[in-house]
Amino acid sequence: MASTSTTAGEQAPGLQSQLMTLNLGPQHPSTHGVLRVVVTLDGEEVVEAQPDIGYLHRNFEKIVEGWALPGVVPFSDRNDYLAAIANEVCVCDAIETLGEVELPDRAKWLRVLFAELQRIISHELWYGAFGMDLGAFTPFLYGFRDRETGYLLMEKATGARMLYAYNRIGGLRNDVTDAWLKELEGYLDFMEKQAFPEYMKLLIENEIFVMRTKGTGQLTREQAIAWGASGPVLRSTGLPWDLRKKRPYLVYDQLEFDVPTGTNGDNYDRAMVRMLEIKESIKIIRQVLRRLPDGPVLAKARAAVRPRVGEYYARQESPRGEVGVHLVSNGRPNAYRLKWRAPTFSHLQLVPLMCRGVKMADMIANLGSLDIVMGEVDR
Amino acid sequence: MSLPRTVWNTVKSLVVGHAVTAREIATRPITVFYPEEKPEFPTGSRSVPVLKVNEESGYINCTSCGLCERTCPPGCIEITQAVDPATNKKKPWPHLYTLDLSHCMVCNLCVEACPFDALEMLDVPELATYQVQDLKFHKEQLLDLWKTGKAIRIAEGQPMPSK
Repeated sequence: MASTSTTAGEQAPGLQSQLMTLNLGPQHPSTHGVLRVVVTLDGEEVVEAQPDIGYLHRNFEKIVEGWALPGVVPFSDRNDYLAAIANEVCVCDAIETLGEVELPDRAKWLRVLFAELQRIISHELWYGAFGMDLGAFTPFLYGFRDRETGYLLMEKATGARMLYAYNRIGGLRNDVTDAWLKELEGYLDFMEKQAFPEYMKLLIENEIFVMRTKGTGQLTREQAIAWGASGPVLRSTGLPWDLRKKRPYLVYDQLEFDVPTGTNGDNYDRAMVRMLEIKESIKIIRQVLRRLPDGPVLAKARAAVRPRVGEYYARQESPRGEVGVHLVSNGRPNAYRLKWRAPTFSHLQLVPLMCRGVKMADMIANLGSLDIVMGEVDR
Repeated sequence: MSLPRTVWNTVKSLVVGHAVTAREIATRPITVFYPEEKPEFPTGSRSVPVLKVNEESGYINCTSCGLCERTCPPGCIEITQAVDPATNKKKPWPHLYTLDLSHCMVCNLCVEACPFDALEMLDVPELATYQVQDLKFHKEQLLDLWKTGKAIRIAEGQPMPSK
């Protein structure tokens, strides 16, 4: 904890306070990973908050230039490790488009199913962590209880808890069993009937929560657009921008769901949008379960993936926003260049803007409501 | 909002919140004290790719073709082909087969790439070691692991996972 001193100008003589520089992180538990925020404090008020990133840099984009494209898919899990399926599906989309691989029908539907299940799990974790940020410990336990059930489901289907390596170029590694689908239905019932009302009662409808979050961390729609925000952060400002609706991929155009939006763009709206998204995801998974076609889950000619010369930008709606893969190929089995667009990288840039002049405790709430994953920011 | 109303809402949400948590008194705890008691590990989760022995011939299936070595994205498999010392000819089995589990992503790509069904993904948990060098498995260790994994499965009466 280093401190420098400058005198604040606007105080009455004799009542001058000193500005203090505080290092929040890189290992502070409330900063969601190895994020360091250099905060300049005037008393309890934040004068300036400057995020310092790069502690989790793994050189993803350069490393994959030397790898054959099928290997990029499991490695992309490590980017947004709380929503690994979303990464896989996006990078597979880019490679399949350039490689001209046709997806089997069942694989498309199953990808939607897993992406939405991942969204539920990711929002459950966010719910728990956001409660912790605001000083409420109980919601954390409830969020993690259901997240654990979800991860067990994922592990049974994919073979891993968090980093699934489940998608292959041209489909999925293995099919799911009917017993697993039954189990998933039970999980959805549990989420809808028991867990979701509990979440609402414990945190979202709590008066203290409402008072802490309403009006704090406010963003206007123009600001959100200008800073490249996407996902719940953008939708909380009232713009119903959801790539699943606006640029439908996989089979999202055949599914019925709403896009929850907020009005004020404050912490409460962001929380509310995420909570309602859990409900929408449950709705989507139920439709997928009803309409899941039979057939293979992996296209046949998948061993020789040689993308054509060209470039393609695949963009999809991950739980945190628009995740994008810009793949440039020169016809070789490895990528010439692969640019990863991480939604939370853009969201992290909002921190100095949102945290100017707020109390320290609110700053943690602002950070939490942006739902930042450092694995994705640093790549 | 007026102060009495805020106070009333706060008290109400506290009561509602406590009503949710109060129900947990009647339920059993879900915490598993891990090293002392073992949780139920789901079958079919991936932990380490190992060489396996052909049940009929009693030898390993690996012909040292090197496909897994080339497929492995982080390059954690290393194969040295066996050479007959008398004739100096290459033999279709590995002299050395090393897997560096500390680099392995456990992505299953090597198992899928193998045309000879020589590799198998085990679901043995608890492979952690104190030394990172201990995660470098040689051919014999991989075979031992395969035997252990098989023994565990037979003891628990589970079917072998398919490829």
